[in-house]
Amino acid sequence: MCDTCGCGKPGEFVIHDHSHSHDHDHDHDHDHDHNHEHEHHHDHDHSHEHVHPHSHDHEHGKVIDLNVDILSENNRLAELNRRFFAGRKVMCLNLVSSPGSGKTTILEKTIESLQGSHKISVIEGDQQTLLDADRIEKAGAPAIQINTGSGCHLDARMVDMAVQKLDPETKSILFIENVGNLVCPAMFDLGEHKRVVVISVTEGDDKPLKYPYMFQSSHLCLINKSDLLPYVDFSTDETIRHARSINPSLEFIILSAKTGEGMERWIEWIVKQTEATL
Amino acid sequence: MHELSLAMEVIRIAERESAIIPVSAIKEISIEVGDLSGVEAGAFQSALELLTRDSVLEGANIKIIRTSGTGICNSCNKEFEMHSFMASCPDCRAFPSVVKGGKEFRVVSLVVD
Repeated sequence: MCDTCGCGKPGEFVIHDHSHSHDHDHDHDHDHDHNHEHEHHHDHDHSHEHVHPHSHDHEHGKVIDLNVDILSENNRLAELNRRFFAGRKVMCLNLVSSPGSGKTTILEKTIESLQGSHKISVIEGDQQTLLDADRIEKAGAPAIQINTGSGCHLDARMVDMAVQKLDPETKSILFIENVGNLVCPAMFDLGEHKRVVVISVTEGDDKPLKYPYMFQSSHLCLINKSDLLPYVDFSTDETIRHARSINPSLEFIILSAKTGEGMERWIEWIVKQTEATL
Repeated sequence: MHELSLAMEVIRIAERESAIIPVSAIKEISIEVGDLSGVEAGAFQSALELLTRDSVLEGANIKIIRTSGTGICNSCNKEFEMHSFMASCPDCRAFPSVVKGGKEFRVVSLVVD
């Protein structure tokens, strides 16, 4: 399901098992086998949506009626991820945003606040580099990096494989930081409990109207970099109004990961979600 | 460009089906793309055309069926054509509405030899 990676054929992506190696001098020669499809840690029966395709004759050949949802394989794997999280009592959040909204900084500060009381692990998605996983590990949580190559989003299969390697602890919180992109990740359920869209005040308050799918599919919107509000033409009221015109039940928290303003509301929200999964 | 990975998924579905029902050739594949599905139909079709080379879909006609969005007003129950999630009811101007159609994204059928 993932896209073409810079290193080779379509369908390839790379998971860097950060928790076991800190050797960053590797050269990405990618001569190892990437063909892990169906190496899942759950039991699954491979039953696909269609039962017995109906076929009938057509003047130009035989017509086979399928009616298969193109995202059905991703959705099936997402459901298996969801069941795995439920069984292990792992509360999983999928953080999505455009690049530069401050997702990684928010996560660093969140880890700082929660690590005394909660077990946390992180899956980092980026096209290239281990930079974000490095930052998360420095903040004190185990992290695994998925490099999607030229791929623009994470999918349920990548998360399944990353979760196997990361092996999150029972009764813990798993954050997935998706590839910075407000378009493509919207369609791909990863099996998360809640989707959190991050927007920063330097981006423009019409963003929810421009990228409706992401705001429509999210549960919570973090408006980050509130410390910069005096310097930019950004109206939080307008943003909330626009986003609610797409998704009336969307919740909002205005915060600054840099100064810590509003972070306590975000932490409270996470704790509430975590308690709900126990 | 998630359309590329979606197109790869279509190739996988076609491969899986042609393994279940042995066919000599797939002549046509029909795909329904709803206007509110989040898929850009033109980009998706181009990506699929590109990927069909050396696949079971090589030479197959790609038929894209567009489905327009429909919504049902939460206030007055009117069904109306919905061009975006922000659309309010054309009759009573109320918002929000429930999306009824237009999110479809599926392989409808294959024509095989």
